[in-house]
Amino acid sequence: MDPGLRSELQRHGIFVTTLEQLYNWGRSNSLWPLGFGLACCAIEMIAASMARYDLARFGAEVFRPSPRQADLMIVAGTVTKKMAPQVVRLYNQMAEPKYVIAMGACAISGGPFKQGYNVLKGIDRYIPVDVHIPGCPPRPEALIHALMTLQQRIAEESLTGPDRPRHLRPDQPGEYPVPEFGPHDLVPPKNPEIWHPPAIRRPA
Amino acid sequence: MEPLESIRDRILAAVPGARVEIVPNPSPSGQHSLLVDPEHALAVARFLRDDPALRFDYCSNVTGVDWLDKEITEKVRVRLRIEGEEREVEETRKHIRPGYLEVVYHLYSMTLRHGPLVLRMRTGNRTDQVRLPSLTPVWRSCEFQEREVYDLFGVVFEGHPDLRRILMWDGFQDYPMRKDYVEPDDYEYEPTPHGIVAEKARRHQTLVEPKTPPGSAAPPGSTTG
Amino acid sequence: MNSIGTAQIGDGYVTLVVFLIAALLFALVPLGLARLWAWRFAPPKPGPVKNGLYECGLESHGDAWRPFKSSYYLYAIVFLVFDVEIVFLLPFAVAFGGLPLGAVLAMMLFLLLVVEGLVWAWSKGVLRWA
Ligand code: SF4
Repeated sequence: MDPGLRSELQRHGIFVTTLEQLYNWGRSNSLWPLGFGLACCAIEMIAASMARYDLARFGAEVFRPSPRQADLMIVAGTVTKKMAPQVVRLYNQMAEPKYVIAMGACAISGGPFKQGYNVLKGIDRYIPVDVHIPGCPPRPEALIHALMTLQQRIAEESLTGPDRPRHLRPDQPGEYPVPEFGPHDLVPPKNPEIWHPPAIRRPA
Repeated sequence: MEPLESIRDRILAAVPGARVEIVPNPSPSGQHSLLVDPEHALAVARFLRDDPALRFDYCSNVTGVDWLDKEITEKVRVRLRIEGEEREVEETRKHIRPGYLEVVYHLYSMTLRHGPLVLRMRTGNRTDQVRLPSLTPVWRSCEFQEREVYDLFGVVFEGHPDLRRILMWDGFQDYPMRKDYVEPDDYEYEPTPHGIVAEKARRHQTLVEPKTPPGSAAPPGSTTG
Repeated sequence: MNSIGTAQIGDGYVTLVVFLIAALLFALVPLGLARLWAWRFAPPKPGPVKNGLYECGLESHGDAWRPFKSSYYLYAIVFLVFDVEIVFLLPFAVAFGGLPLGAVLAMMLFLLLVVEGLVWAWSKGVLRWA
């Protein structure tokens, strides 16, 4: 429907919407995060949910203690290789639709501990990440910005058609393989189905 | 705290057969330490804890150190007969000091308020003689830290109540803090590397795609490291 | 039967029935809509991990229906003691200045009863966890 006509109608007190808009509006304004933190970034996440930054303004203050009730996974902190299978399993146990925010340098790349023997170099090796937040730690404003970005993306999702989101397509998996503890590293060290880093060529 | 020399002498008197050396520390802190032989370490530890003048009742820290094989060159003066004439010549000799693992304990006394006393133990080598006595029966606070030393350095503590890996998972086979540890090569994507990470990213690239033609035009958007 | 009486009884029940139907619809319509929505738009994606037991991300072993320590139950009871106490103590404290003697005595009696429960649990060793 023509947006000009819609705003004209709205001025006369007539609200026209589509099922799609209603659906996305409801979902994007009640993103319930899964309540867990992995390291220092979690403190900023907690601060964001408290009165000063007040994540409740965006409908995302209901931190759920169970993945069955959560829509959003905020990976806040360092993902150690010992913790990675648990994070992936929690993601798998969330009900569709589900979204992931990788918060902080550690969660997106390993951050300051990149060269550590036990730190995963980015959680997007195993689960699809929707929004990355750089920073060490990112300020609560950055988390709020990421949440708003995610809300915007949800509002633009379409219900039908070839570009509908992952959770509405039967060919996309609902869970991803959980890595196993191997003798030297996690097995597999990454999930090539979802992790496609751009190739970087450097002079050798 | 009484001087280290007198502590050592009293240990030698109290624990017959013990071999205790003072390892000097040349740095400004001058924190010299006692090197104990593993066979008598437990008795020495008990003495340090129970002696009324010392009373080291708190072990604050257990550390592991990995010493690799080291080539030592030293100059020796030898007398040689050269052309029937006896002369003194300087000769360089090389020998290899075998590597070992070392465990360092820092002891304090809460009752007498002194410390730290630094205690060291060394293993025979880095491969098969890596057993040391656990001091957990003497100081309970050693338990987790000895587990950590076992996890990261591979020192096996005998008499430890619960010797399992603590940071890495069971089934992990390497000892990541040893100097010859080879980490898994997962530097696939390093957009802004510098220092060692740049090195590792470059090495990964040469390992994965060794046949990149030299001088070929880099694709747009690529970064140079 | 008296016709007026029937009408009166019927009227009463009609409102009840209307309420019952409204209540049922209130509960069932959203559920039905959700079902319809899932059938039309959202493909089901079950999986062994997704349907597995939730163990804080760890791999679950065995069945979720296993007996747990009875001490937890006792703890819950003792917690109730404190909970009830707080709920009543607060208004009691607020109104304390203007209370007649009888009310204070009654409150003390109530406190005594609750504290008695705690003392009993304590003497039974419930507070010692082992
Ligand atoms: S990104 Fe920085 S603040 Fe966040 S978990 Fe890592 S080290 Fe901590």
